[in-house]
Amino acid sequence: MKFSISREALLRPLTLVAGVVERRQTLPVLSNVLIEVQDTQLSLTGTDLEVELIGRAEPSQVDEPGSATVPARKLMDICKSLPEQSEITFALEDGRAVLRAGRSRFTLSTLPVAEFPNIEDGQGTQELSLPRGTLKHLIDATAFAMAQQDVRYYLNGMLLELGRNLVRTVATDGHRLAVCSRSADIDIEPAQKLIVPRKGVLELVRLLDGSDELVGLTLGANHLRARTGEFTFTSKLVDGKFPDYERVVPKGGDKVFIAERAELRQVLSRTSILSNEKYRGVRLNLEEGNLRVMANNPEQEEAEENVSLDYSGDTLEIGFNVGYLIDVLGALDEDRVQMTLSDSNSSAIMEEPGGGDALYVVMPMRL
Amino acid sequence: MRKILHADCDCFYAAVEMRDDPRLRDIPLAIGGSAEHRGVIATCNYPARAYGVHSAMPTAHALRLCPELTLLPADFARYRAVSERIQAIFHELTPLVEPLSLDEAFLDVSAVTRFKGSATWMASWLKEEAHKRTGITISVGAAPSKFLAKIASDWDKPDGLQVITPDNVDAFILALPVTKLHGVGPATATKLAAMGIVSCAHLRQWPMKALLERFGKFGQRLYELARGIDERPVRVERERKSVSAENTFHRDLPGLAACHAELPTLIERLSQRLERHGNPPIKGVFVKVRFNDFTLTTLEGPGHQAEPNRFHTLLDEAWARGSRPVRLLGVGVRLVSVDASQQLTLFDDAT
Repeated sequence: MKFSISREALLRPLTLVAGVVERRQTLPVLSNVLIEVQDTQLSLTGTDLEVELIGRAEPSQVDEPGSATVPARKLMDICKSLPEQSEITFALEDGRAVLRAGRSRFTLSTLPVAEFPNIEDGQGTQELSLPRGTLKHLIDATAFAMAQQDVRYYLNGMLLELGRNLVRTVATDGHRLAVCSRSADIDIEPAQKLIVPRKGVLELVRLLDGSDELVGLTLGANHLRARTGEFTFTSKLVDGKFPDYERVVPKGGDKVFIAERAELRQVLSRTSILSNEKYRGVRLNLEEGNLRVMANNPEQEEAEENVSLDYSGDTLEIGFNVGYLIDVLGALDEDRVQMTLSDSNSSAIMEEPGGGDALYVVMPMRL
Repeated sequence: MRKILHADCDCFYAAVEMRDDPRLRDIPLAIGGSAEHRGVIATCNYPARAYGVHSAMPTAHALRLCPELTLLPADFARYRAVSERIQAIFHELTPLVEPLSLDEAFLDVSAVTRFKGSATWMASWLKEEAHKRTGITISVGAAPSKFLAKIASDWDKPDGLQVITPDNVDAFILALPVTKLHGVGPATATKLAAMGIVSCAHLRQWPMKALLERFGKFGQRLYELARGIDERPVRVERERKSVSAENTFHRDLPGLAACHAELPTLIERLSQRLERHGNPPIKGVFVKVRFNDFTLTTLEGPGHQAEPNRFHTLLDEAWARGSRPVRLLGVGVRLVSVDASQQLTLFDDAT
């Protein structure tokens, strides 16, 4: 195998593919990236057995087609640190990978291509496509609420629901829930519900831009595949039953207020400085025309902020993990936010005034 | 510069007994378990100490040193009541009180403006009030850090008051034997002595790297203590993580059946303790077994209540690990962290 490519053409796909490669590996070959060259196509593959990413690039010259696996992070670090616009020549010599650029030469170890695993294709059952911007928006609006290393393994991921003219994402860690739906030109009958693992979600969204260009999706029994021009992304799916999100969306909240989103976010961020560092509780006091936000910590330090609001209902005192509220305010993009509450033990709804495509449910804390 | 007080009641359990029965005042007295039950001394008064008796010593050994020793069983309900009144005095001075046990606490008085901010005056006020209101004498140490305050309170016990001002911290530490440092027990002391380190002045001559090599992470602590560095804050919250009850049997339990027979008593004691703590939410249960060869095994499982059957099942499995006579049995529960339990959840346990 021998080819040449510009640093810039190699770096973008290499960076994304190396992102999939875990730092700690059980199989040595999993810290490598698979490089394959045919005709005028170069492809790079990284995998952790759960998520696989193939990135494509155009070499400037192919002398000899072939394939090899080399350490992903080292290759990336070398390419990053070469001068801009370097022309890189990559050749396999006596089982070692030799990379040359200008007066630099690096010799990297390789592992047999045959050892490099690929995620089983399985049966692709359904094909569809969505605007990249739609999928990106759905993930951005909900991904923060995914659980991390929860024993309820199905929460360590995102529910992707595809139906007739509708696509929806749902994420929850058991304390808060985020759901976002958008209409789309798809027709899946019956509706499909997949749980994409956390890492798959975070890697997938890195491949998406906000454009109207399409991303092709293949829904398999055990995997999801996404294709853009330059990338093919495959993630195994989580086998489990995601909680019914509709059941936890509270109904009958009678205390509704609308606040300036940026102002409320700043108020909460400032107040949080003096909340308990570990549990981050803040107290909200909703009164006529005013929202008072208070926090204190074990050192008996206190913060108090007041926000003027258009509110005339009953008063309410309720506690929240301030991080959960700030996360939602960061995910919404409307100037104002609407919050619906009922009592101090019941969940709150946060959304755009009048309801937008995203809806957030946050459980309170007892303070 | 911080101002930390360490207050320590002088032979607390014995002091309470002597207060309530003055006849005990001048005779050797110890509080602890009986020799027949392989008990140990919890506290003893100064006449007993003159015989070489000290806390944590097996009672049988103490009685050999001092055959006329008066031994009383501990009456924790009474000690706790006295302790609460003393703690209340601490809280009149500052809210920053970290209780270490019934008879010991750290106080951060850096921000106290009473007594013109003088830690020495505060310390003597604490001693006076404690004696006036409870009849118990306490020793108080005042210093810029926790470890120095603790050493100071021990300096001229009983009824002591020792102050280490920021100016004389250095002189004090240089003369300090390393055995006074918290965490330096007989084994470490021997190791240090072999290196020619007896006082903190010697210790200071060793670079961090050499201490890390020889003592691991504790090496860094030694390095810092020798320089008077101890930034540990006075922690008001001290979260209880578990509640347990255990017993060392005066005769080894020969087999599994005998162990099962002892379990109900322990479970009863455990549930009394839980009740005293207001029956906090539980996230797990465990059984602890020490065999007659002194090997220790603990077996733990999930659970939301101190259910007797759970302990019996765990005991079966734990006992099987040693399958030999048992010296000590314990049962306990792990508690849900208080603050974490305050976050309400979206789904009930079924989902």
